[in-house]
Amino acid sequence: MGTFILRRAWQGFLVVLGVTLTVFVVTRVFGDPVSLMLPLSASAEQRAAFAEGLGLNQPLLVQFVQFAADLATFDFGESAWQRRPAINVVFERLPNSLLLIGAGLGLAVVLSVPMGVVAALRPGGIVDRLTVGLGLLGLSMPQFWVGLLLIVVFAVQLQVLPTSGMGTPAHLVLPSVTLALVPLARLTMLVRSSMIDELNQQYVKTARAKGMPLRRIIGVHALRNASIPFLTLVGWELILTLAGYTVVVETVFAWPGLGLTAIQALQRGDLFLVQAIVFTIAIMIVLINIALDVVFKLIDPRINLN
Amino acid sequence: MTISLRGLLASTALAASMALVTPAAFAQSITVAIGSEPSTLDPQLRDDGGERQVNDNIYETLMARTPEGELEPGLAAEVPTQVDETTWEFTLREGVTFHNGEPFNADAVVASVERIIDPENNSEQMAYFGTIAGAEKVDDLTVRILTTGPDPILPSRMYWMKMIPPDYAEEGDLASEPVGTGPYRFVDWQRGTSIELAVNEDYWGPEPDVEAVTFRFVGEPGTRLSGLMAGEFDVIINLLPEFTASVENFAAVEGLETSVFVLGADNELTSDVRVREALNLAIDRQAMADSLFQGYATIAAGHHVNPRAFGFNDDLESYPYDPERARELIEEAGAVGATLEVIGESGRWLKDREQIETVAGYWSEIGLETDVQIQEFSQYLDSLMGDGPRPDSIFIANSNELLDADREASYIYHMDGAASSNSDEEMAAMIDEARVTTDPEARQELYDAIFQRGHDMHYTVPLFNLQDIYGMSPRMEWQPRVDAKMLIKEMSVSE
Repeated sequence: MGTFILRRAWQGFLVVLGVTLTVFVVTRVFGDPVSLMLPLSASAEQRAAFAEGLGLNQPLLVQFVQFAADLATFDFGESAWQRRPAINVVFERLPNSLLLIGAGLGLAVVLSVPMGVVAALRPGGIVDRLTVGLGLLGLSMPQFWVGLLLIVVFAVQLQVLPTSGMGTPAHLVLPSVTLALVPLARLTMLVRSSMIDELNQQYVKTARAKGMPLRRIIGVHALRNASIPFLTLVGWELILTLAGYTVVVETVFAWPGLGLTAIQALQRGDLFLVQAIVFTIAIMIVLINIALDVVFKLIDPRINLN
Repeated sequence: MTISLRGLLASTALAASMALVTPAAFAQSITVAIGSEPSTLDPQLRDDGGERQVNDNIYETLMARTPEGELEPGLAAEVPTQVDETTWEFTLREGVTFHNGEPFNADAVVASVERIIDPENNSEQMAYFGTIAGAEKVDDLTVRILTTGPDPILPSRMYWMKMIPPDYAEEGDLASEPVGTGPYRFVDWQRGTSIELAVNEDYWGPEPDVEAVTFRFVGEPGTRLSGLMAGEFDVIINLLPEFTASVENFAAVEGLETSVFVLGADNELTSDVRVREALNLAIDRQAMADSLFQGYATIAAGHHVNPRAFGFNDDLESYPYDPERARELIEEAGAVGATLEVIGESGRWLKDREQIETVAGYWSEIGLETDVQIQEFSQYLDSLMGDGPRPDSIFIANSNELLDADREASYIYHMDGAASSNSDEEMAAMIDEARVTTDPEARQELYDAIFQRGHDMHYTVPLFNLQDIYGMSPRMEWQPRVDAKMLIKEMSVSE
């Protein structure tokens, strides 16, 4: 197990390095960060001084060497937009994103299991059709639209929840529900189809014939067998949320997380901050993958990790 | 003396209810939703809308403006006097202190000027202060500001330069805990979410009505509108014209930006003044103002100068919509079927892409082919200000923070201007002269001539003076300012 984790960590390191270097090249080769960062009224001298201050007037190769050296010490340079170390901005915003993702994905995980199981008990029944219908609806509605809809209903019309920002638990409700919707739909569908498969297996039929209670069959056997695809999908949803969904949801709800910050950094051409954010997200994705592998091994020792 | 129990209870209840009611009745606090978070609260570093919207309430400047844009003394006690061509003398208001107790005096002005022009500081605001050479203390309340050459708009520049406390600037943290002389003092900054200010009890000016203000950072216009409708926000900025119908209380005011196409007067097609005139006559500006801006845009009066700026030519009128004449002119110039390059960007200014595409549509109707290119911003900047060949026509929303026509004249009309597309030496000489003429009347005459010439030569296709629209909660009373500053001290709450 130890060797396995070390090997995966090394592979993960290479992935993070690859992603970060790609971002390095893309941000420097396409577009001109100096024009994006400075106001329209800035003079040519100011542009030159600014580029020099950031080391952007150096040849690309020199910049690259400097970049690699800084990377080794986790130094991402100073965010040109906020004029403080980019990594500090990341550390400040990351917990906000994790809170939102934890609440949203937690909601999806907690609700999807009972919903999927109940639907699977009577395939084609009214509960099942309702669940499938809601699932399809959840998957087909764009998140920003759902977000705005929730704001209009719960914040503007009913005035029971705040529209945006963060601070109190109430602020978390609408963004986490919006964020939960797509993962909830996908996870519920997965639980439903896995359970239908499991419940049709011979061992279930035998156990039922022997008089084992349904609750025990589902809880002990069927759910355990369905857990690996479920966890794989949870991991996948976590990655999608981290790298994508939060951007939309945080923008709509003005939630000060990493996703919103990434968009602002891109708009302002703040390449050091963009690099730091991409680096952080890449590391987290690698960590999630390693953690999933470890969990799989713990659930089912037969899995060959190599 | 006997005190009845009932009387005691009644007076206690009254006192308790007073205690509950009093703060609410007098302590008016409001929430303002702005579009972006300040990058820093150092008032001398960035040229950043979010920073200004907050710091305009914490800091003050030597000169101020009325809501209508008239220059008036701010921290200066009176209008400055000119000692010689390169020296302006300011007398300072007495008894003003910074929020940390430091006195506001000549030393503070000298420190503020020297800090902002220090190349080490690399201030983005140097675009406004490039002519300033330094400052000298005469006595505690008198200070001289020196310029590198004659600079008639120095008083306007001092309306933009915020005064900082010298000791705190050295030892404190201006970037995250600002200290000014203004009507509001800094309380708290929740990064990513909000900034809170409270009224400065020792403010030298009239006591503001609003006691506390929270600035919330909400980039999405739809979310800002929802927050306003839900009663969370009292003021929101940049209300989209199409949203005005959903808001019961809003105010629109002519802002600082004018949208305009700069024409390449040296280019093969657009060097013919008849073609340039045709481009101006081809556009139904009123229809655009009504449909794109729901009427919340003012048609530019024949030149792209802000109507509130010093130097605006009152005699000029907007170009009429005359597509027949435009077609004739294109035929006379032998340009029928010629391809006109139309360069622009998208997402930087209100309805930029829509304006560019609509105008290109009008131009196609008078016999020209149009080649519309919506460019990525840095590529666009290169088209606008780079060394390469000038485009036939390029869209820009020109803003004028100092409200002085030098900006429009030198930036777009002057042959050496960063965004200019002509090589009119005579025009350039007039602009150079206006820039150093210190007598206001003579200067106005020069600008009248400059803009008349720009108008007759059709160097630009001016479109609209864009309006700033603010949404407000029903309890708010506020008349927005032409300089787009959001001064909380000018706001009041009706309940």
